[in-house]
Amino acid sequence: MHSTIIDCDVHHARRTDAELLEFLAPAWREYAVGPGRAGNVPLTVSDGYPNPHGFMRADSYADDGAPPGSDLTTMNAQLLTPLNVGRAVLTYGDDIHVSGHHNPYFATALAQALNDWTVARWLEADNRLFGSILVAAQLPERAAEEVRRMADNPRMVQVLLADNPTKSGFGHPIFHPIYEAAVETGRPVAIHAGANDWANPPSTGGATSNLYFETHSLWPQALMTHFVSLVAHGVFEKYPQLKILLIEGGGAWVAPLLWRMDTEYKGLRREIPWVRRLPSEYFREHVWVTTQPLELSPRREQLIDVLGWIDGADRLVFSSDYPHWDSDEVEHVRARLPREWQDNVFRGNAMRLYDWADAGLPVELALGVGE
Amino acid sequence: MTVDVGHLDDFRDGQVTIVVVDGREIGVVRWSDDVFALANLCAHQRGPLCRGTLSPRLESREPGAMELAEGAPVIACPWHGWEFDVRTGRAVWDEGYAVRTYPVQVENGRILLDLGPRRQAAR
Repeated sequence: MHSTIIDCDVHHARRTDAELLEFLAPAWREYAVGPGRAGNVPLTVSDGYPNPHGFMRADSYADDGAPPGSDLTTMNAQLLTPLNVGRAVLTYGDDIHVSGHHNPYFATALAQALNDWTVARWLEADNRLFGSILVAAQLPERAAEEVRRMADNPRMVQVLLADNPTKSGFGHPIFHPIYEAAVETGRPVAIHAGANDWANPPSTGGATSNLYFETHSLWPQALMTHFVSLVAHGVFEKYPQLKILLIEGGGAWVAPLLWRMDTEYKGLRREIPWVRRLPSEYFREHVWVTTQPLELSPRREQLIDVLGWIDGADRLVFSSDYPHWDSDEVEHVRARLPREWQDNVFRGNAMRLYDWADAGLPVELALGVGE
Repeated sequence: MTVDVGHLDDFRDGQVTIVVVDGREIGVVRWSDDVFALANLCAHQRGPLCRGTLSPRLESREPGAMELAEGAPVIACPWHGWEFDVRTGRAVWDEGYAVRTYPVQVENGRILLDLGPRRQAAR
């Protein structure tokens, strides 16, 4: 049997509104349920592109019909135990789109409630689970406060951004309070793909998508936008300790983007003299990328070649994306990556990303125990 | 081989003047009291480097801040904008990447370029 692995993208969900309302501040709870028989003020923003398969694995509904990702018993039976997941980082279901809400104050309150719900209902239920500090990016100073509030819990291991409430990339100074809080509290900032053209369009380049096939094919675009923005605005110079994780965009697109960025920098350094190094150097020092959805190149070595150029052995972390319809299975990923990368991709890189070696976590959580 | 390319007064301050010496095009840069010389050939795609723009280097203490480095002239190749420090020939983004420069001396107002060993005549 293989060693336990770390899964860096598991989408946990809630069964009902009531489950979250319990954690919402009383005044906001009243605001949300105020419509009464007309139904609650929506706690999640709706998505715009129907997937004819549904967005979730059809087999991931619980026996009692509970939504995918909402039932720990089902998650354990389908993911944690069979894939031998020693640690899983939870990244929310549709609630991840909190920054897509129009109301910035309600979004801020929702993010707080979601974080508290995650700790109480998930982390306290299973010590293999770790949480993400979801923030409402509409109000970055409030988001930074939320990072500091949740950072007291060592199992809330990263800050999570997805939807973009502004017209500027995440490198823009308006977002810097979030990075300042992340560095101060020793948390990486994860950026989840899909913010383009989801709850908060229109950041798909060139056009707004019409079909789910379009938007999903272009999933990494937002990650590209944000990474380029982080470099251009000098975020890695301003916050030398900042770690970034790019989630759910695959990794084959990174090398060509870095090649292009390095070339652009040579001609345009005059515009951004605060950028002191080649963009690819910042990437190799500050950025990690999740594996899912691992691109399927015609030949295995083609994918390894482009991932190798970005130091995939050090920068890639495994993610299943459970319970989404396009989740990746461990052996599928293992078969496509070089054997010598695998200890790092399935465990070691995440350990370094989250500084888990010395995080003071219970000894029974140490990876490898019980193998 | 040392070559006299003219009097200091023949070269305007803050400009690059291309001279042809020994079959080579060389850009002579007068920058206040200093004179520099570099090949009119970009290391990138062999563009005419010295037909590009000469200017002070732009620097930055922190993201968003712009400062002038008056004593550090750079020349930007007209083809892709790659900038090189005129004093050293080194690219502003990589000290290990450079265009050719030539030592310059000013004696009695005359600008003397050291082109290195004389080329062997073709046989």
